[in-house]
Amino acid sequence: MSDWIKKYYSVLKMSWIQTLEYRANAIVGAFAILSGLLIEYLLLSKVFSDEISSNSPIQNFDSFNHLIVYIMLCMMVGQLKSSWHNSMMMIDEIRSGDLNRYLIKPISYFSYNFMNFIGHNSLFYIVYFIMMSLIPIIIGPGYIFNGVFQIIGFLVTLIISVFLSYSMYFCMICFSFWFGEVRALIISYNVFNIFLSGQLIPISLFPDGLKQFVMNSPFRYMIDFPVSIATSDYFNYQYFIDGVLVQILWCIIIYLIGRIIYIFGIQQYEAFGA
Amino acid sequence: MSFIQVNSLSKHFKIFKREAGLKGALQSFFNRQYENIYAVKDCSLSIEKGEIIGILGENGAGKTTLIKMMVGLLHPSSGSISIDGHNPWERKNIFLKNISIVMGQKNQLWWDIPASESFLLNKSIYNIPDIEFKNRLDELVDMLDVKDKLNIQVRRLSLGERMKMEIIASLLHSPKIVFLDEPTLGLDIISQSKIRDFIKYHNQEHLTTFIITSHYIKDIQELCKRVYVINKGKSLYDGDFDNLIKKINPKSKLIFQFNNPPKEHVLKTIKNKYDIKVNDLQITGELSEDKIKLLLIDLLKIDYSKNFKIDELPVEEAMRSFFTNPDLFLNE
Repeated sequence: MSDWIKKYYSVLKMSWIQTLEYRANAIVGAFAILSGLLIEYLLLSKVFSDEISSNSPIQNFDSFNHLIVYIMLCMMVGQLKSSWHNSMMMIDEIRSGDLNRYLIKPISYFSYNFMNFIGHNSLFYIVYFIMMSLIPIIIGPGYIFNGVFQIIGFLVTLIISVFLSYSMYFCMICFSFWFGEVRALIISYNVFNIFLSGQLIPISLFPDGLKQFVMNSPFRYMIDFPVSIATSDYFNYQYFIDGVLVQILWCIIIYLIGRIIYIFGIQQYEAFGA
Repeated sequence: MSFIQVNSLSKHFKIFKREAGLKGALQSFFNRQYENIYAVKDCSLSIEKGEIIGILGENGAGKTTLIKMMVGLLHPSSGSISIDGHNPWERKNIFLKNISIVMGQKNQLWWDIPASESFLLNKSIYNIPDIEFKNRLDELVDMLDVKDKLNIQVRRLSLGERMKMEIIASLLHSPKIVFLDEPTLGLDIISQSKIRDFIKYHNQEHLTTFIITSHYIKDIQELCKRVYVINKGKSLYDGDFDNLIKKINPKSKLIFQFNNPPKEHVLKTIKNKYDIKVNDLQITGELSEDKIKLLLIDLLKIDYSKNFKIDELPVEEAMRSFFTNPDLFLNE
């Protein structure tokens, strides 16, 4: 077990080293979300200007501030799980034959790139956690992390959701074995994911049918579930335990689907290039 | 069973063909025409531990496909492979820890960071103990003379330096079998020679089995006693490289310099007997080994000159004519 940890920790370390190699890209990337947060704030403040002036609740959010904290947190969590960089790299590796370099080593391609994925996003984790901790100072207390359990619950569900999100990407990436180029699939997924996971509009504001679909899909457990724990007034153990169990179940299902696609896909792999 | 056993191995690919241009692209978008092509067809081969074998063939002959199946990168369409008792495409860790492959056209090191970091990563991946790693790295770095390049980003290294780093990365875990696909591609003569010397040394010291493909005949000549020749996916020859060359090219070249001009009628007799060229005092003949000996005896009877030499025809030339019409040589 310790050898396994050492092996994949080394991969993580390498991706940190690589991320730090390009300083300008790392710094710009880490703060790229700020413009998105600002646009979303300006947009929603216009849409809900009446509710802001009358300080009235918006659906099940007791104030506009509560809504904006939810949206901002959704955007940050969404960004933490974005696998654009890694997905593009993996698709290219399968298409061009660069996957060879992993297949000849005693290492799992899924785990190797999971570590790469975490390593690449690590800088975002630091910056975004600082931003999250500044929310109570900027917006005011009572909207986020109202207790230790909310913080622990958020971190636990966030870690599981990172794995779930990566597993979803992995499933789609594996279609490259058959189709070569699947960037369009990733782009479509990203667009749907931004909407369905509540990064633009909270899931509670969705029409009933769509809300029902999202609540019973893995999308809910990627962003909305961790964020709902972080922004809850009090920590509901039953809600947390039930949610985590469903989240883990989705992880197992999506992981297994990815594994099956990979096993069949690798048999189609043509290992291009000498 | 041999250390490496390949039986009736075949691999075909389904590829689509289209005409050039926009019209072809549109036609192919709506109606794609597929075709099955055989990259390797019914190849069998056995290799013993510690052997260095060269796999020869023209571009597209199927050499790399054969190697890719042997390391488990490609699933064969039919046939079987056993490498040290393992089935490569099961890709078990115990098998992967004992093999290594260097592809001249593929980079295995992390491009943006120094090679030393990639070596450390390999140390963890292959679970190499600290002392063993240090000793091995020192040995490899000294042999290939790249100590001062270890901490430079891989993308800033020259092609030769990068290839040396690739070779180091592939040997750190002391694999039993190393596949080298065009290891000297694009390198200067000195680097080529250094890599060849290194492979020879490594094979003798560690009894590592090397399977090499190269378009540089010098690599094969210097390293491989045995070659496996493949053409259009099919096995053509498996055996001693020198015997193959003799088979392809039984002729040698004699250059003989007379001390004094020979008499006209004597020279005419020689010219009638052998296919030779005469240029002033020099005679040149490209003949079979036996005939060269007889010619030399005849010439020495005329003039006891010490000024002569016998050369074999260039191997590159011989191989070129072999690949142009292999049946001509092998059916003899």
